[in-house]
Amino acid sequence: MRSPVTGIVALLAALLVVIVGYMSLFTVQQTEQTIVLQFGAPVDVVTDPGLHFKAPWNSVINIDKRILDLENPSQEVIASDQKRLVVDAFARYRIKDALRFYQSVGSIQAANLQLTSLLNAALRRVLGEVNFITVVRDEREKLMGRIREQLDREAGGYGIEVVDVRIRRADLPEQNSQAVYDRMKSERQREAAEFRAQGGQKAQEIRSKADRDVTVIIAEANSQAEQTRGIGDAERNRLFAEAYGKDADFFAFYRSMTAYESGLKPNDTRFLLRPDSDFFRYFGNPSGKTAAETPAKP
Amino acid sequence: MPWKNQGGGPWGSGPKGPWGTGPQPVGPRPPDLEDLLRRGQDRLQQIMPGGYFSGIGITLILLIVVALWLLSGFFRVQSEEQGVVLRFGKHVRTVDPGLNYHLPYPIETVLLPKALRVSTISIGMTLIDDPARRGRSIRDVPEESLMLTGDENIVDVDFTVLWRIKPNGVGNFLFNIQNPEGTVKAVAESAMREVIGRSDIQPILTGARTQTETTVQDLMQKTLDGYGAGIQITQVQMQKVDPPAQVIDAFRDVQAARANLEQLSNEAQTYANKVVPEARGRAAKIQQDAEGYKEQAVAEAKGQSARFLKVYEEYKKAPDVTRERIYLETMERVLGGSDKLIYDGGPSGQGVVPYLPLSELSTKKPPTTGQLPSGGTR
Repeated sequence: MRSPVTGIVALLAALLVVIVGYMSLFTVQQTEQTIVLQFGAPVDVVTDPGLHFKAPWNSVINIDKRILDLENPSQEVIASDQKRLVVDAFARYRIKDALRFYQSVGSIQAANLQLTSLLNAALRRVLGEVNFITVVRDEREKLMGRIREQLDREAGGYGIEVVDVRIRRADLPEQNSQAVYDRMKSERQREAAEFRAQGGQKAQEIRSKADRDVTVIIAEANSQAEQTRGIGDAERNRLFAEAYGKDADFFAFYRSMTAYESGLKPNDTRFLLRPDSDFFRYFGNPSGKTAAETPAKP
Repeated sequence: MPWKNQGGGPWGSGPKGPWGTGPQPVGPRPPDLEDLLRRGQDRLQQIMPGGYFSGIGITLILLIVVALWLLSGFFRVQSEEQGVVLRFGKHVRTVDPGLNYHLPYPIETVLLPKALRVSTISIGMTLIDDPARRGRSIRDVPEESLMLTGDENIVDVDFTVLWRIKPNGVGNFLFNIQNPEGTVKAVAESAMREVIGRSDIQPILTGARTQTETTVQDLMQKTLDGYGAGIQITQVQMQKVDPPAQVIDAFRDVQAARANLEQLSNEAQTYANKVVPEARGRAAKIQQDAEGYKEQAVAEAKGQSARFLKVYEEYKKAPDVTRERIYLETMERVLGGSDKLIYDGGPSGQGVVPYLPLSELSTKKPPTTGQLPSGGTR
């Protein structure tokens, strides 16, 4: 230790130890899994994150183990009832078998490319078997599950597990949308017209009911009124009968007198009288005795 | 290190730091730096006791470096953050806001996600900075917001998703999914379209808003839990639920028609409310008139019969005289004011045909004054 040469040697040795030590260690991130390669040949796959040892000459390749995105551009798919659908789906997948993944596709980009075409094929296959409304309304979830299963089976060869496939959009193409808009519009117009007609009808009903009520009310009132008048007339007749019944002869005389007086008004009546009428009985004959006594009448 | 503050003190200027204290016992005055280094090198080469002092210096330096290195492990976690400590890339613990310590780099590192903050994702619209209006304005994104309903209509839905990292899910959030934000958005779109696709347009537009929100929230939560995303959906808010712009006028017209219906029936009701009471009034009048007639008739009859009876009572006392008197008085009144022609046709009443200018007589209207009081017989 006292010689400068030994000091340098010791220093170099320490450096070598450090370098070798450094080369024998590797870390695995929480989000990754690591393949250990010995001169290109895979010897180990480490999925447990943390610090690990390897032979200094081995190399490592890190592979993501998170759930990865696969965004699929919109596809036009024809449903079994020949309706066209623009389907925009996405998948979420995870690299389950890092080694197989590395050997078969190598990188995530390459995997995405492969998966996109597989996903499209699965989409067309599954959605082509069912009709439009099944995709949109009835069995979307079940269909997504079937697409996922198919894709998962096919992607298994790449060491990939497909976690989920979801249809994000399943819409009509632009030109069909226009037809839907037109139909919606006409449906609304029909509805509006119906409401308006109902309004007219209801108003008419209310008015007619009111008019009917008016007619009935007036008619009932008139009926009531006639009865009342009848009662009045009856009472009058009874009173007259009671009074005049006492002497029918006098009544005839008295009533006639009253009738003459009120019936023969002074200004519109002219009398042509015969002097020998009863009124003129004393008119040249103070005794008032005539043979024929006839009352003068015009 | 008090000597640092005493620049120009007995031991000279201080910037040599602790290094300078090593050779201090050798001379009464501290040598300058070049000199010290040269002498240090000399002594190292000669393996002199000076090398021993130099070794102490190196050790000290190393100690300080190590101390600084250890100190670099302190870190602060802000109130909205959580500290995720990784030891050689492995997630070992999660710490709360405040001052914390981790083993220094490269053994441990820390990630500081804003785990307690609620994030917002808007779908169907984007907020864009609008310098003209000095703020942000909303721009519609129709390809996101237009969706098919179960009865093959199209609605325009804008909605907002509020989400945060689950209380114990920060590790999942950071390490389980590649693109958390993008995933939340994609799942939100997918869930909303699925829910809208199951429903008809009318309930979506009117009553089922809250129900749609909770269904979407549940579906999203289920999907994200399936990914182990460590994300909690706190709320789904539907901002705008409208028919598409192309047909919104037709929908508004339906509203107008509904209002029209109300209006028409209200008007009719007003008419009814006016006409029926009027009729009741008229009916009351008719009945009152009838009552009046009745009472009038009875009263007149009573009066007339009473009068008759009075007259009759008197008449009974002296029938002949009274009868004659009444007759004469009546004739007096009747003939009194009238035109009279007395024509003596002879006892046989034949021979001469009298000429009666009736037309002339009837045109001549003599003004008469003697008006008879009607019914003045007594």
